[in-house]
Amino acid sequence: MPPVHKDVNPKQRQYEAMVRALSADLYRFAFWLSRNESVAQDLVQETFLRAWKNLDSLRDAESAKPWLITILRREHARLYERKRFDTVELDDTVPEEAAFASPERSGDAAQVRDAMLKLPDKYREPLAMQVLGGMSCDEIAAATHQQPGAVMTQLFRARQRLKDLLGGRAAAEGGRK
Amino acid sequence: MNCLEFRRRIGAEPRSRDPELLAHRDSCKDGCAAFWQRAQRFDDDLEAALAIPLPEGLVDRILLAQATGERRRQVGMRRAWMAMAASVVIAFAGVGMLWRQNDLNSLPALAVAHMPGEMDSLSLTRPMTDAQVEAGFTGRATQLKGPMPAGVTYVRDCTVGPYPAVHLVTRMNDEPVVALYMPGKMDTTPGTFERDGWEGRQMPLHGGTLVVLAQRGASRSAMDAVERGWRAAIEGPAPQNIGRI
Repeated sequence: MPPVHKDVNPKQRQYEAMVRALSADLYRFAFWLSRNESVAQDLVQETFLRAWKNLDSLRDAESAKPWLITILRREHARLYERKRFDTVELDDTVPEEAAFASPERSGDAAQVRDAMLKLPDKYREPLAMQVLGGMSCDEIAAATHQQPGAVMTQLFRARQRLKDLLGGRAAAEGGRK
Repeated sequence: MNCLEFRRRIGAEPRSRDPELLAHRDSCKDGCAAFWQRAQRFDDDLEAALAIPLPEGLVDRILLAQATGERRRQVGMRRAWMAMAASVVIAFAGVGMLWRQNDLNSLPALAVAHMPGEMDSLSLTRPMTDAQVEAGFTGRATQLKGPMPAGVTYVRDCTVGPYPAVHLVTRMNDEPVVALYMPGKMDTTPGTFERDGWEGRQMPLHGGTLVVLAQRGASRSAMDAVERGWRAAIEGPAPQNIGRI
């Protein structure tokens, strides 16, 4: 979509470029964090609104994604605090979101998604930060206030658990040693 | 690096480009390269699976929310500025009205406002007797303590604004100079003024306030003489300095 005005200010241009470049990854991260499509949309929208208000604190383009992910995690934590009594355990009751209504539902990707949804938060979140956010162990450790070694263990176990859940498919792919 | 360490690291960070890892992968004869390949394929699948379809219009909705919020903020700021500007205008208007109200009640304003009804008195030339002049002061319960100036052509009990006054006209060098003496008014600050075609000066005296007025262009010496004359008459002659060092 072309910009609305040709003479928008640099801040607005930077913001629009950031939204276009990173909203997809951020939405996907939000989805895997919240496991809910509409919550993920709200989180992304709120994250970008907060980012707009604090855009001057963003120093370089490279750090934009980790910065946004940090904001989104904080928003998610806030949302969780507000809706503490409304939440239900989703491990065995994953809703039929549009994301899962695709033809891939019956394929390998759907199995991986199902397995991903069954991962405990402590494994799913760092894994999504790594795979979708492109963050290293050190960056995840900094963002989650953990030691890098602990994050590495979580990432290792996350993949192991996924392979366990995927069973034979993972074995066929050699995921198991 | 041994195979166990390599597989543990690759199991956590399959996409790592750590040279140490890559070197082990390329040199290991125990199947670490195949392990690395399988890990890459697993993460390829994982990335593909996690890349769920995006909701339609996601970017546009985000930009719309930001633009709407920004517009609302700007409107709010504009309203705040307008309210502030209106407050400043109202404050200035209020201060102006207060100042004007204050000015209209000032002694110079009251003295000058008193004059239009007394313009005929300025054309009188026949001197009044001392008794007539004293009677004018007696009417305001005031006794003169010194000799009155010569050439008094008019005396009358008046009211200047709220202040009871003795209205006098003294003709000095053929120029009429008005003196308004307000006994009991003790809070006057000495000063001069020009207002509505009149030049004047106000001064506190021992028992009240004296305002001397002349039409613009009157000589300063005539006003000085009238001021000195009435000051001496009302307060008494100035003490003699003879004998002092």
